[in-house]
Amino acid sequence: MSSLQNMSKSAMRVGKNYIKGYTDVQVKVRDATSNDPWGPSGQQMNELAQLSYNQNDFIEIMEILDKRLNDKGKNWRHVFKSLTLLDYLLHAGSENCVIYFRDNIYVVKTLKEFQYVDEYGKDQGANVRQKAKDITNLLQDEARLREERRSRAHMRERMTGGSND
Amino acid sequence: LPTRPVDRDKAEAELSLNVKKATSPDETAPKQKHVRKCIVYTWDYHSSQSIWASLRVQPILGDEVQTFKALILVHKVLQEGHQIVLKEAQEQIGWFETCSRTVGGESARGYSTLIRAYVNFVLAKLRFHRHHPEFNGLFEYEEYISLKNIDNPDEGYETIVDLMELQDQIEQFQKLVFAHFRGSATNECRIASLVPLVKESYGIYKFLTSMLRAMHRRTDAMDALEPLRARYNHQHHNLRKFYYECANLKFLTSLINVPKLNHDPPNLFDSPDA
Repeated sequence: MSSLQNMSKSAMRVGKNYIKGYTDVQVKVRDATSNDPWGPSGQQMNELAQLSYNQNDFIEIMEILDKRLNDKGKNWRHVFKSLTLLDYLLHAGSENCVIYFRDNIYVVKTLKEFQYVDEYGKDQGANVRQKAKDITNLLQDEARLREERRSRAHMRERMTGGSND
Repeated sequence: LPTRPVDRDKAEAELSLNVKKATSPDETAPKQKHVRKCIVYTWDYHSSQSIWASLRVQPILGDEVQTFKALILVHKVLQEGHQIVLKEAQEQIGWFETCSRTVGGESARGYSTLIRAYVNFVLAKLRFHRHHPEFNGLFEYEEYISLKNIDNPDEGYETIVDLMELQDQIEQFQKLVFAHFRGSATNECRIASLVPLVKESYGIYKFLTSMLRAMHRRTDAMDALEPLRARYNHQHHNLRKFYYECANLKFLTSLINVPKLNHDPPNLFDSPDA
């Protein structure tokens, strides 16, 4: 995809955000999980993880994430990046993210057979299938998820509060 | 009911469209995106009634390919849908029997034998689940254990025999599917029916392995378990062959990972981490 096309696509997204009345938080999720061939960046994901601790923002994030996860094959990037973001949220986001996706695990689980072959014959679904498998396993392993969340929080504490050491 | 942001009216309208598209007359695999919507629907609303209703409304039974695709769809929804689907399907036995009866003896594209065998298999599966409601559609061991909340395999002898029975049914049916491949065609639609069979047989296999190991750990009467061991080893070799043949089907391996079994069956006297 040429950069010019990408520019006009992101311009489109700005327009759509406006017309559909998405909130600032929802626009952030849409940007992080867009059809651009890069991202989501660590910074984007971190910001959304922090926002997920606010109940209203959490609901808005889930609304868009749910839409993106259920998008069609042609938009496989939406699905793939939403799984990337979801993985991050499960590690660093609020406990609500964990509860929500444990309740709705089937949304992820059923992506294990996601299919999309692009016009060049490349199997773009493979990445989605692998990530869906990884996240399903993580969600089903309570002890591992607890441990990974703990060590992530610990690391963040050390990095942000480093001056106290 | 669901915690997801959903719209029931929209979901119902889309569902009948998804059933229709999954069972289209094209001789291809049912599209996974439509199958997935049906599965997700059963979790959102804890019901499969609308799916059965849609299957009855669509003119599926007049066409052997559509009937076969409908059975694949139903099989996948039984496996991966909400637990309620296994229960509600018990009231649909008449529909399955109609599928069998409607296809004639000789059919143009050779699906009639497969349809009757598929119906027989699904009915056997439904009988199993009626007697053992604690199993989910894919026989996932972890969920069984968390549901039972205990690890007491001694009560499992009869369950194991019933599981082995079902495993043999899968073996029979998959052989028939392979026997009905046509040299000229891609066989995509037939291969699509192998996907849920691979998953189900592997779920049963892993389950049997865990159960039998646990029984061997507990019991003093090793001789009593000999018939089970022999049958387990036999099924291991059959499965290994089945997966080997599946691994050569490019279309199938692009959809799922086919498990690879060792040449020798696992030693049931070992603990799994040994």
